[in-house]
Amino acid sequence: MNWRKVWVVARHEYLANLRRPGFIIMTAIVPALGLVVLMLGTVFAGQAKRLGSFLEEQFDIASQSTGVVDRSGTFSPILPKYQDQFILYEDEAQAEQALTDERVSSVLLIEEDYLETGHVVVVTTGSGFGAAAVSDSPAIRSFFIDHLLAGQVDPALQERAADPLDVESRVISSGGETQGEGPLGFVFTFVIPYILAIFLVMTIFTTSGYLLQSVAEEKESRVVEIIVSSIRPVELMTGKVAGLGVLGLTQILIWLISAAGFSGGAVALLAVVGAATIPVRVLVLGVVYYLLGFTLYAILMAGVGALGATMQESQQLAGMFSFFAAIPYMISGFLFTNPNMLVARVLSFFPLTAPTMMMLRLPLAEVPWVDVVGSIVVLLLSIPVALWAGAKLFRVGLLIYDKRPTLKEIWLILREK
Amino acid sequence: MIIQVEDLVKRYGDFVAVDRLSFSVTQGEIFGLLGPNGAGKTTTIRVIMDILSPDEGRVLILGEPPGQAKGRVGYLPEERGLYRNQKVLDTLIYLGELKGVSRSAARERATSLLERIQLEEWAGRKVKDLSQGMQQRLQFVATLVHDPEVLFLDEPFQGLDPVNMERVKALIVELRQAGKTIVLSSHQMNLVEALCDRILLVNRGRSVLYGPLAEIKRDHAPNLIRVRASHIPPNLPGVVTTEPDDDAYNLILADDSSPQDVLRALLDQNVQIQTYEVAPVPLEDIFVAAVSGDEGGAHELA
Repeated sequence: MNWRKVWVVARHEYLANLRRPGFIIMTAIVPALGLVVLMLGTVFAGQAKRLGSFLEEQFDIASQSTGVVDRSGTFSPILPKYQDQFILYEDEAQAEQALTDERVSSVLLIEEDYLETGHVVVVTTGSGFGAAAVSDSPAIRSFFIDHLLAGQVDPALQERAADPLDVESRVISSGGETQGEGPLGFVFTFVIPYILAIFLVMTIFTTSGYLLQSVAEEKESRVVEIIVSSIRPVELMTGKVAGLGVLGLTQILIWLISAAGFSGGAVALLAVVGAATIPVRVLVLGVVYYLLGFTLYAILMAGVGALGATMQESQQLAGMFSFFAAIPYMISGFLFTNPNMLVARVLSFFPLTAPTMMMLRLPLAEVPWVDVVGSIVVLLLSIPVALWAGAKLFRVGLLIYDKRPTLKEIWLILREK
Repeated sequence: MIIQVEDLVKRYGDFVAVDRLSFSVTQGEIFGLLGPNGAGKTTTIRVIMDILSPDEGRVLILGEPPGQAKGRVGYLPEERGLYRNQKVLDTLIYLGELKGVSRSAARERATSLLERIQLEEWAGRKVKDLSQGMQQRLQFVATLVHDPEVLFLDEPFQGLDPVNMERVKALIVELRQAGKTIVLSSHQMNLVEALCDRILLVNRGRSVLYGPLAEIKRDHAPNLIRVRASHIPPNLPGVVTTEPDDDAYNLILADDSSPQDVLRALLDQNVQIQTYEVAPVPLEDIFVAAVSGDEGGAHELA
């Protein structure tokens, strides 16, 4: 391996791609978003609670007037504290007229046998989601509980039954450390690292996408034969992977510096204690998975990029890798609930999904060490295999112009000594 | 010997692209590597350039196996292009650095080459801003940034207009005068005739004709003499037929006769001769005849 030539290629790729508009925009997104959040924080710093209440009201359908038709007698008369919000109607027709006239936003039809069955009909206008929102509304639940227990139990107990939980999230790690105290603590401990992980994963695919683009461009412009007459294909591939890998790290570094800067700003402006709480473990392992994931994907992209006759063809071929990488995203809803579920653990040991899956899992929970070590070992073992196959496809594919090799031809290339 | 190829074989699956090909190229000559499309010329060049590995045979370039002398060899491939979105000077510097030249030396040499092809004012512009002719000249000098000792030019005249063709031809002559060894592959037989010292004609991966161009042309010259004279005596020794052609005569010679024998016979018979010439044979005719008549055996002339 001629390392001087590898360095020349790496520097060339780094500088050529650093100037790409796509890279500049992508890199600027995080600082720009941080700036917007910081500006919003500055404006609303003293009004966070009021802002929260305002937003809550917008989403709580029961904060608007609700009509009630009480055939059970349990809710008549309406308790004084609910009289502003709940209006009693004699019959269904009157209530529905009020709904049509937009005097109420929904109507509760409480049947005679309510105490035995709990059966309530919710009438709303618009979509069926309105009824679901009414049934989940804390204000509606309080209305029912208060009327059921009024005069039956101690007022303090009645109040507690209507609002039994005031949740504060606190997660204790295996080392006994407390994480994520308070709602903002949760945001800074879990949400921000999770977003950062998503950005890291995006970096893997944007930078390895640049590699695909670079190979396809060299092939399409026919400069490649001049290049491979000067440098061995494996040196060319190594240089490209190194240059673009460092380009990705540059992007991550800019993001981290801006994130740290804005966290510091948040501490000063919002008086949030411990805003910069991205765990070191998540950060270090995030970079490790970035490097391993990028190397694996970049080698595969280089091999596949060399096979396509045009940029479009190369991108189509690379689509299969993007599919694998997208699998962890597809199950990210379940990951939030249980980051250590079986499917997530299995996908952490499959080379093409391991980097994405581990990056998404790490910020959400204490991932077992066996998963961390196992996935790193799997990736370390996969990279030489990818290098072997990628280098072969790259070497042969570079000189096949005007046609895409068939699967049989690809198989023959891989079998060739 | 600058290049030595012995019994080279290269296969693609079951297809034999190069079949036991042997030839050598000497210092300072322009060597023509000719053949119809798909004859195996580009594959042979790619093997010598270490882009492809040979299946059998031995290849030495500048006394070393392919790959060891990359920094001393320049290559203008048939399928060629440059980075369209990069600046002209940056492109030349990068290609020079890939050949092992330092950045500063590559810059100096690239600047001088741009002046040589009158593109110095375009150094800071993107390649895509250049006209097609300019790009082709740029591609040519891109192979020279590292000042190579040997140059492989695969179809260097392809797509060039007559003006640029003359410019490239002049550059090739200049390079030979500077002591460079050049391997030229081209379908433009008139240019090959004008430039090459020796040629190798390849067909179906095998050698069909190989040797000094002058010798090949002499050996393939038809037995045809064109004479402008007062008359041609009948039954002239060594002449099979005589055909009047405008103000001259075409004489077809017997196989065992030479133009010198016939000239002597005409003079002996006191024929007044105005012009006497051995009809030239274009290389293209030799090419077509050799390829059409190729039944598998190499016709070794050198």
